[in-house]
Amino acid sequence: MPVFATDQDVYATIGALFEWGSQDPELGPKIAASGLTIRFVYHEPESEITVDARAVPPEGRHFTVLCGPAGLTPDVTMEMNADVAHTFWFGHMNLLTALARGQMKAVGPIQSILKLLPAIKPAYKKYPEIARAHGLPGEE
Amino acid sequence: MEFSEFQVPTRVVAGRGLSTSIDIELQREGLTRGLLLTDAGVRPLADRVRRAAGSRVVGVYDAITPNSSVEQVEEAARLARELEADFLLAVGGGSVLDTAKAAALVFTEGGRLLDHQGVNVLARPLLPVAAVPTTAGTGSEVSIYAVVRDENTGTKVSFISEHLAPALAVLDPVLTLGLPPGLTAATGLDALTHALEAFLSVKAGPLSDALALAAARTVLRELPRAVVDGSNLEARWRMLTASCLAGMAFSWAMVGCVHAMAHACGGLREVPHGLANAILLPHGLEYNRPAAGDRFGILGEWMGADPVEAVRSLAERIALPTRLREVGVEEADLAALAELAMLDGSIYANPREATAEEIEAVLRAAL
Repeated sequence: MPVFATDQDVYATIGALFEWGSQDPELGPKIAASGLTIRFVYHEPESEITVDARAVPPEGRHFTVLCGPAGLTPDVTMEMNADVAHTFWFGHMNLLTALARGQMKAVGPIQSILKLLPAIKPAYKKYPEIARAHGLPGEE
Repeated sequence: MEFSEFQVPTRVVAGRGLSTSIDIELQREGLTRGLLLTDAGVRPLADRVRRAAGSRVVGVYDAITPNSSVEQVEEAARLARELEADFLLAVGGGSVLDTAKAAALVFTEGGRLLDHQGVNVLARPLLPVAAVPTTAGTGSEVSIYAVVRDENTGTKVSFISEHLAPALAVLDPVLTLGLPPGLTAATGLDALTHALEAFLSVKAGPLSDALALAAARTVLRELPRAVVDGSNLEARWRMLTASCLAGMAFSWAMVGCVHAMAHACGGLREVPHGLANAILLPHGLEYNRPAAGDRFGILGEWMGADPVEAVRSLAERIALPTRLREVGVEEADLAALAELAMLDGSIYANPREATAEEIEAVLRAAL
């Protein structure tokens, strides 16, 4: 059974993680400095989140997070099952392995995503809190 | 080991003088209308292969340069489309072979080459490529990578997919007999770098290990013989085989920080890939030593000496440059090179998690 029942569950957890990141004083500026627009397309359930570090962000945020179709042209699109994203944000999945096994698809200059990997490490600690608060299964 | 995968999508045929009967192999693949891709430097060899292919070659594109460009890839794809080619015949070194693989991508998928960056983007077979290497080092004749220089950004752009692997590789050591000693040495060190980095990679697996170790031992033994006496067909043959084995190994195990730095040097300063690898390999190995665990010891057993010392000794014996400044890199380039290396996918398979500062220090040590 998929971890997420609806797209709203995805937005309330992974979307909330990105929202947290947009306000985090450590992670936020690093993503903002990339200037990238990254579109995350999820399946089961169908959903998508766009992280936009190109546009001027809302007050108090380093970048914009858009849940649902955003209509922006992304620099990079990452596509995966929502369950895979759940495992990834628990810090239990190596990006290279996930790409090698076809669990993720990356369209665009993958180097720009790889560059952000060290920056997103704090999110691995935050996501379990958010997921558990939403009643999602853990990945211990 | 978290996960390993291994596959050789390419049919490899090998033999002395085999390229003179390449029409038989092309026929076996059902290939009838080919565009031959090569560079001006090896045009006489390419013409020999063309004659052997007979009417199966319907055009030639020979404008490929070392560190070939996006523009050359797109031009080759355009020409192949005009000629209604059903395959590309690549005769040359790594740049020619990679250009052909990337041109097959553009031919099949359309659009511009850079539109197709990413991983798991290619979902269907591409225009078949028949690869005939004239150097022993790149391994591109069997690898699932194509690396091309983006002249607008001065960076190397890598494409990766099992669909990029050539359909056919023809290994004919006779084609490498005329390779000058310097190029023989540099391309041979490229093969050794593939083997050693594949063995130390976080993506290494049992099958890639076997190929990498065999390749490394062969290069150590045969490369000096091939450099000293370029007409030594036996040494040439073994080097071509080692290069192919190393290509198979790193196709799936990937490479590491040495390649990341070499790609950066090629992108920013157009340092030939083999030379950059040759200079950086001992420094990259030394950097990785603390993270390599017992695998360094295994390499040492296979190489008959400490791996760093074995590589230094080999480079000395075959008179390769040992400093980046000898190939046009300057102190002022180091920070930019480190930053570029950190953007290269190879760095993420490196056994030691690298920072830009550490990579800059490795580059400085090699300056």
